[in-house]
Amino acid sequence: MIKLTNLTKIFRTELIETHALREVNLQVNEGEFAALTGPSGSGKSTLLNILGTLENFDAGDYQLDGKSVKGLSDAALSRLRNEKIGFIFQSFNLIKDFSIFDNIELPLRYRGLKAAQRKQRIEQALELVGLHARRDYLPGQLSGGQQQRVAIARAIAGTPRILLADEPTGNLDSLMARQVMELLEQINQQGCTILMVTHDPDQARRAGRHIQIIDGQLSDTMLYEPFAAQSA
Amino acid sequence: MEQFLYYIKVSLVSIKRAPLPYALTIFILSVGLGVFFANATFYYQLNSDPLPAKSNKLFFPMMLITPYDCNDCRPPRVLSYANVQKLANSDIPSAKAAMYSADGYARLSSSQPPTPVVIRITQRDFFAMFDVPLLHGSFWADDGGRFEILLSRAMALKLFGRTDVVGEQMLLDDKHFSVIGVLNHWQMLPRLYDANGRNHLSPTEDIFLPLETGYDLHYLSKTNSQTFDSTDYRKLSTEGRTGALHQLQYWVQLDTETQQQAYRQFMLNLANDEKAAGRHPAPINNQLTAMRDIVSYFGDESGDIQAFALVTLLFLLVCLFNASHLSLNRYLSNQYEFSLRRALGASRAQLQLQMLADVLLMALFTIVGALLTGYVGIKLMNHLLPGNSLFSSWDIPLLLSLLTITLVCSYLVTLYPSLRASFGTLNQQLKE
Repeated sequence: MIKLTNLTKIFRTELIETHALREVNLQVNEGEFAALTGPSGSGKSTLLNILGTLENFDAGDYQLDGKSVKGLSDAALSRLRNEKIGFIFQSFNLIKDFSIFDNIELPLRYRGLKAAQRKQRIEQALELVGLHARRDYLPGQLSGGQQQRVAIARAIAGTPRILLADEPTGNLDSLMARQVMELLEQINQQGCTILMVTHDPDQARRAGRHIQIIDGQLSDTMLYEPFAAQSA
Repeated sequence: MEQFLYYIKVSLVSIKRAPLPYALTIFILSVGLGVFFANATFYYQLNSDPLPAKSNKLFFPMMLITPYDCNDCRPPRVLSYANVQKLANSDIPSAKAAMYSADGYARLSSSQPPTPVVIRITQRDFFAMFDVPLLHGSFWADDGGRFEILLSRAMALKLFGRTDVVGEQMLLDDKHFSVIGVLNHWQMLPRLYDANGRNHLSPTEDIFLPLETGYDLHYLSKTNSQTFDSTDYRKLSTEGRTGALHQLQYWVQLDTETQQQAYRQFMLNLANDEKAAGRHPAPINNQLTAMRDIVSYFGDESGDIQAFALVTLLFLLVCLFNASHLSLNRYLSNQYEFSLRRALGASRAQLQLQMLADVLLMALFTIVGALLTGYVGIKLMNHLLPGNSLFSSWDIPLLLSLLTITLVCSYLVTLYPSLRASFGTLNQQLKE
C-alpha cells in the first residue's frame, strides 16, 4: 500500500543542510498498525508528514496504492489527502470556534458530499468515539482526551485507507492515552492502516509493527504479536 | 448554494474571532472609497452625455467672421443676429435654433411683487433638438415674434400654484404674455446647449421666449456678449439685429456624415463670400463642434473636480494599501486554519472560493460605509462648491459602477493576503 524507495529529505538554510531522511526504503501493507519511534529530531515526524503529503521530499519515490505521488498537482494532492488519508495531530488541531459536528464535517465538506451523507458519517464517527451527545459542544468545553477523540472522529469520518497519527497521546494523561490507543486499535481492526509516531515504548509495542528511525534512517523494523494476543 | 452559505458562515466566524481589526479594515476602505465615490459622482455627472442618441448629431457652428485681421484668433463663441441669419440660410440641417439667455422679472399682475426669472430666448426647433418634454400646451407654431411663452414646471407651480396654466396671462418685465405651454420635469445635465462660460452647470431656465420677441424687447444676453466695432454699448440692445452685437449661440442638427460635410462646405463658402465682400479680413477659421465636445473645446472642464479626482484616487490607493496590510495581518493570524483545511483536503482553489466569500462580505460592509461616507462627502462638496450641486445625484448605472469598484477593491485587499495564507509549508504552519 505504501512504498518508499530511497526517499530523501533535506532541510536547507543559508548555512547548513540537514538530512532529515536518508534514502529511506519502507513498505507498509494494507491493514498494518505500525509505530514509528526514534529520538527527537530523528525524522519520524518528517516521514509521517511526507506520507501525508504535507511535505515534499527531495529524492526517491513515494508510491501510494501503486501510484507515485511525485509531481502531483495541488488539487490532486488535496484530493488524495481528502479521500485516502486521515490525520491525527498531537495538539488535536480542532478549530476552537467550530462545534464538534462542524469540526468533523470539515474533510467531508471538501469531498463534496451531500448534507445527508455528511450527517450520517459524522454520527457514525461520533458514535464510534463515544461523543454523540456532545456534537454541539465547542472543543474548549471538552477534556483533552475527548478532543483527541473528536480529532479521531474527524480523521475516520471520511473512511480513509490510512490513518497517520503524530503522537496522538502526547498531550494526554495515561488513562486517556489508553482510551485513545484502544480506539485506534478498534479502527485498525476494521481494516484501516495506521502509522503512529510515538515516544512511548508501551504504545509502540501495542502496534503490530515497530519502525525505528535514527538520524533519518530506518534502523530497525520489528514485528510484534498483536497487543491483544500478548495480553492473553 | 449550501456550500456558499457554509463559506459565508466560515467568514463570519473569522470576523467574530477578531472584530476590531476587521472593523478597522472596513473603516479605512469605506473612507477611501467614500471620498472617491463623492468625487466620482461629480466627475461622472459632469462628463455624462445628456442626449446619448443625439449628441453626435448636434453641432455648434463657429466662424471667424470679425471685422479686423487676426491670425491666431479662434472664432468667437457667440454670433451676431446678422451672422446667424447667414448661417441659417441653409436647408442642410434637420433642425436649427439660435438662442441666448437673459434675466427678467415675472408676476401675474402688477399688484404682485415681481419674481426674478431666467429666460431662454430661442426658436421653435430648440425643443425638438434637445428633447424637451412638454407637460401641457404646445410649442410655438413658427419662429416669428409673438407674446407667447412657455414655462418650466417649477415656474408654473411657483407663479400659479399648478401646472395646467395654458392660456393664462402673466407679466414678464411688465409686458403681457400668454402661456402656451408648460414643460415637464426637465434638467439636461450637463446643460450643453449653453456650455459657454461654464453655464452648462446651471439649472434649466424658468421661461422660454421667442427669439424675435427677445430682440423686439431689447433683451441683452446675461452671459456672453461681444462686439467687434465701436458701437456705443448703450445702443447694443436697441440695435441688436443690425449692430455688431454678438450674443447668439447657434445649434444645428446634422443627422448624417453627408449632412455634416455639406454644412462644412456651406460654412466655407460663406466665409469665402464674406472675405470676397471685404467684411472679414481674418484667415478662414470655421469650427463645427459636436455637442459632446463643446465643453472641452471651450476649455471649460471643471479643473477643481479634476484636481479632486486625482487627489481622491491617490487617497484611495493609500487606503487600499493600509487595508491590505491590515487584511494581511488578519489572514496570517488565521493561517493555521488555512493549513488545517488544506491538510484535511481543501485545495487552494477551494480556499480561494472561501476567499471570495470573504470578499463578498467585505464588499457588502464596505459599500454601506462607502455610500454613507460618499453621501457626507457630496454634502460637503455641495457646501464648498455650490455651483456643482446639480451634479451630485446617484443613478442606477453610477451605483452599479460604485458597487463594482467596491468589489474590485475588496478583492484586491483580500487577494494577496489570502494567497500568502494559502501557500507555505503545511507542516510548519500546523505546528505554529
